[in-house]
Amino acid sequence: MAHPTDEQIIEELGLRRDRRRSIYDHPNLIRLASVTVFLLLWEFFGRKTDPILFTYPTAVAEAFGKLIVSGELIKQLAVSLSALAVGFLASLALGVALGLVLGMSRTVEAFCEPVINALYATPQVALTPLLMVWLGLGFSVKVVVVFLFAFFPILINTASGAKNVSAAMVEVARAYLAPPAQILFKVICPAALPFIMAGVRIAIGRALVGMIVAELFTAITGLGAMLSLYGNIFETAKMFVVIVVLAVLGVGLIRATQWLERRLATWKETERAVS
Amino acid sequence: MALNTLEQQALAELDLPLTRPFRLVDHLGAVRAASIIVVIALWEIFGRQVNPLFLSYPSAIGRAFLQIVVTNEFQRSALGSLHVFAVGLSVALVLGIAIGLLMGRYRLAEYLLDPYVYALDATPRVALIPLLLLWFGLGNSSKIAIVFLSGLFPVLMNTFSGVRTVSAQLVEVGRAYGAGEGKLFTKVILPATLPFIMAGIRLAVGRALIGIITAEMFTAVTGMGALLVRYSSALATDKFFVPVILLALLGVILSNIVEKLQKHLAPWKETERAL
Repeated sequence: MAHPTDEQIIEELGLRRDRRRSIYDHPNLIRLASVTVFLLLWEFFGRKTDPILFTYPTAVAEAFGKLIVSGELIKQLAVSLSALAVGFLASLALGVALGLVLGMSRTVEAFCEPVINALYATPQVALTPLLMVWLGLGFSVKVVVVFLFAFFPILINTASGAKNVSAAMVEVARAYLAPPAQILFKVICPAALPFIMAGVRIAIGRALVGMIVAELFTAITGLGAMLSLYGNIFETAKMFVVIVVLAVLGVGLIRATQWLERRLATWKETERAVS
Repeated sequence: MALNTLEQQALAELDLPLTRPFRLVDHLGAVRAASIIVVIALWEIFGRQVNPLFLSYPSAIGRAFLQIVVTNEFQRSALGSLHVFAVGLSVALVLGIAIGLLMGRYRLAEYLLDPYVYALDATPRVALIPLLLLWFGLGNSSKIAIVFLSGLFPVLMNTFSGVRTVSAQLVEVGRAYGAGEGKLFTKVILPATLPFIMAGIRLAVGRALIGIITAEMFTAVTGMGALLVRYSSALATDKFFVPVILLALLGVILSNIVEKLQKHLAPWKETERAL
């Protein structure tokens, strides 16, 4: 006798064919409803409050349009982004270079470790006032603050990546008489890359914070300066525009590094040295 | 490793040196100590030659430390900062754990709240400082709000992902033995999530410290951050370094306490998520 098929069993037992529908099948609908209700409530109650202290979504949209048309937002965004880019690239170059050196020589690591730990433990924001005394209020102070915020995560991650390169791989390269430069660029760098990218992901968020902090305190140019300025003249709607732009920038930068991490460092699951 | 007689004979015949040659790698502790001494000595020598308005040196900082630590003003500032820090962080911990548990356990809560949680988590919190000052004024409440916002998200996100990774088996066994929702929370989910929560608290402590310094520097009225701004504006560089060093120490001590607590309270899992 033939075995009954699944269909026949379901038929015989009188089971329901379709799963009962549930609101959880459409999480995005719940999210959409949540955001819509929130925006409507904000619009409704926001209109009733004092515009000096609070604002509402349509006013923010209107302010956004104005700031775009006047070109101010784009101009300050460009200033901020250039400081961010210069500071971040400098910290990337120096962090990776020094990190590789620290990862490869235990003596150098022991020598630099106390200094690095002390500087890393110091909240970098606390150094901003001194940096302003040293470097003034211009572009250079922003670059240095961004650099300081981003440098340590990259350095520490690179060093631990270079330290964790499988000893077997390095030995094979040595056995095939690879010169030190090749061992560095063909073995250690690729093996440390996933670690470096993890450091970059942490560093980019911190670099953004550094940029904002520096601009808030110097308060002359950039998005942080706009925040500070509009806060002082009670233009709350324009402040919200800047905050939203910064939030989008934050999400965008982190997403971009995550994407880059997946593209560049696909071999994350390598064997690890058991040293 | 003990050698047998044959091996010892062979060694004697080959006339190999029995002691290892001196290598720096074998004396890393000494290298570290040397590093600290060299850095402090160099700082002292060069610092003395630089104009004291711009850079100070260790012995001057030591003198300034003894001078201002005993003053009423300094003690009041430090206690004020600690008070704000403690209040803001406690509220952040309680709410962060509560919301994280809710979002992790109930999908409705997750879908309703996650748009805001992700958006706010990605927004650099420092960007909200001018807005919060506008709403809460220059006093303690705005600082508490900033510490709260800085500390909330690391705890919330870690608790949330901790609950999501609780093994379904554990929950099912709990259910099978007739545990109600309350019992499941206190006996299964909370203990399983605790390592994640503690990792979140460690991140939160650091973030909250940065939050309070930034807020106090920006309002520049009371607290350690205000002292930083005051000393740097007065170009009293030796005094400036005193709060910087104390803040670094505070960060290290707090993070060590949480780490100890983590080992004591949640010794059953070594995982930690840095978000």
